[in-house]
Amino acid sequence: MTLTRGQKRGVAGACILALILISIGVMASLFASNYQLRLVYSTFVNLIVVLGLQVFMGNSRLTNLSHSAFMGIGAYAAAICVTPVAMKQIALPDAPWGLNAFALDPITSALLALVITGVIAFLVGIFIVRMTGTGATIATLAVLVIVHSIFLYRTDIFKGNQAFFGIPQVFSLTSIVILAVVVVFISRGFRESAWGVMLRASADDETGAAAMGVNVTRLRLIAWVLSSLIIACAGISYAFFLGTISARPFYFNHVFLTLAMLIFGGMRTVTGAVLGTFAISFGLEVVRWLETGPVVVGIDLPEVLGLSGVMLGLVIVLTMAMRPVGVMGDREIEELFIRKR
Amino acid sequence: MEYAAQQIINALSFGAEYALLALGLAIVFSVMGLVNFAHGEVIAVGGYTMVAFAALVTANPLIIIIGAVAATALTSVALERVAFRPVRYADPTTGLLTAFGVSIVLQNLFLLFISPRPIAVTSLYFLDAPVMVLGVQISSLQIFESITTVVVIIGLVLFLQRTTLGLAMRAASLDFEMVRLTGIRANRVFALAFLISGLLAGLACIFIMARRGSVDPHFGFNPVLKAFVACVVGGFGSLPGAVLGGFLLGAVEVAMLVLLPQEYGGLKDAFVFGIIALVLVWRPDGILSPAREKGDKL
Repeated sequence: MTLTRGQKRGVAGACILALILISIGVMASLFASNYQLRLVYSTFVNLIVVLGLQVFMGNSRLTNLSHSAFMGIGAYAAAICVTPVAMKQIALPDAPWGLNAFALDPITSALLALVITGVIAFLVGIFIVRMTGTGATIATLAVLVIVHSIFLYRTDIFKGNQAFFGIPQVFSLTSIVILAVVVVFISRGFRESAWGVMLRASADDETGAAAMGVNVTRLRLIAWVLSSLIIACAGISYAFFLGTISARPFYFNHVFLTLAMLIFGGMRTVTGAVLGTFAISFGLEVVRWLETGPVVVGIDLPEVLGLSGVMLGLVIVLTMAMRPVGVMGDREIEELFIRKR
Repeated sequence: MEYAAQQIINALSFGAEYALLALGLAIVFSVMGLVNFAHGEVIAVGGYTMVAFAALVTANPLIIIIGAVAATALTSVALERVAFRPVRYADPTTGLLTAFGVSIVLQNLFLLFISPRPIAVTSLYFLDAPVMVLGVQISSLQIFESITTVVVIIGLVLFLQRTTLGLAMRAASLDFEMVRLTGIRANRVFALAFLISGLLAGLACIFIMARRGSVDPHFGFNPVLKAFVACVVGGFGSLPGAVLGGFLLGAVEVAMLVLLPQEYGGLKDAFVFGIIALVLVWRPDGILSPAREKGDKL
């Protein structure tokens, strides 16, 4: 198999990003406190979500607002499969269909969760990909609300806003870094693959691409399902690390957060997704510290809850007003090193 | 019979509320291609204005109502000036994400400067009184709501058909460059679209407030989400489509309330959106979407 020039560059770019991610992981495990380790871990979970989002949004340029719902589906599916029976009898005493009477090993559970998310994403995707831009976005918003209301309503399966606890904590920082590196390669690989190129062409000029023989809806569906699977991976690793989940983190606040990350970094490139995630995560920690009303150079700042939300919104608005393509624009990381010809 | 009549009136009044909101979204979208996610926050501004008027100025409901409508109209125009002007000619995704960001900022500002908790407004309760019409007991609020929506639709049609600016707005939805070439100021058309949208939001705000009686930072979110869905079903950017979608959504919602057993109440919205999705299988671009070829407007 021969690679095109774009694909060779893609491999180089993904390797650079992988090195960066691994060094962040190594630094964190060497120097970080326990609390900071958890922050780094959740940043990596968000990174996988943002990368998954990039696969769909960056290539098809349709806005997806339902990704947190798919993260939730993946997390809950894995959690329900993997939690030991004794634990589930306490957590979910009246679960239907014998859901609290079996338990699988983590790998089977994760695979099963991926299959379930994939099937749901495929069925939803059939509707979504046929609509034009605006309609598709609103439809994904409706999907988010539907999934969330099911999580809240079926308390016998999902426990709603209460914690679903007792999930074995099988993931560590090492595993999430490895997973993130794999996902970087997958998303960059998709971007440079024939499918990715055709899908990006259809985003630039739908009629033109279709005239060249690109099956736009089919490609969008492929990207949609792949994106949902990657996001489900994030959900699974979230559940496998924390050991407890609830419906709340899979709703609007998480959608805002990950969307702001992707937009700020630049949704068109994988590099943008990585940059945006780390920049916003770091910035947000600073803002959260300001929110608690610290004393800075002798001045006692007041407590301002909600400041992080305002900042996230401002990041989106200002990025859109000043540089709609995000910080990275159309440039991947290796293009910063290779001379343009 | 009486029960059926009551439910039909329910459906009409739900539909009227969604239609008001959907019209506000559609008029902005048709002129500028902007999906205004911040519409819900404009409504919330109206709600908070009512709180401020009731607490500080007067208990006279008429003044409170006028104040709220004026506030939503001003907010809407101000948002266009501050936030949406830089992305005026950008592609729809950019505009959509900007509006999304504006909505997050406003919501968190309400949290920050006002209160995360609901604040009660009691001055509009008088709108919601039971009345008997032809032996059927209905709420006066439903009558006001239906009449207001009908009046608004007639007024809007007259404005769009009979005035120069209305003509310009209809033309702007087809070819904005051409409208500018004929010497009509772009700023004026955009400001007017947002003004109308804000007025409609203000009217909807009154009815939502009369029903709910309190305002919180997420006040406008749910109604506007429904209005978005109504717009999508009717065909985004089509004004008749927005009205049709609104009433359709109202009818489906009341049907779900009647048909679904009590214990499924929490899933009402899930069912409503699910049924609406089936309409989109039939027509992915909405029922009354213009049959415009893609790539037409370059």
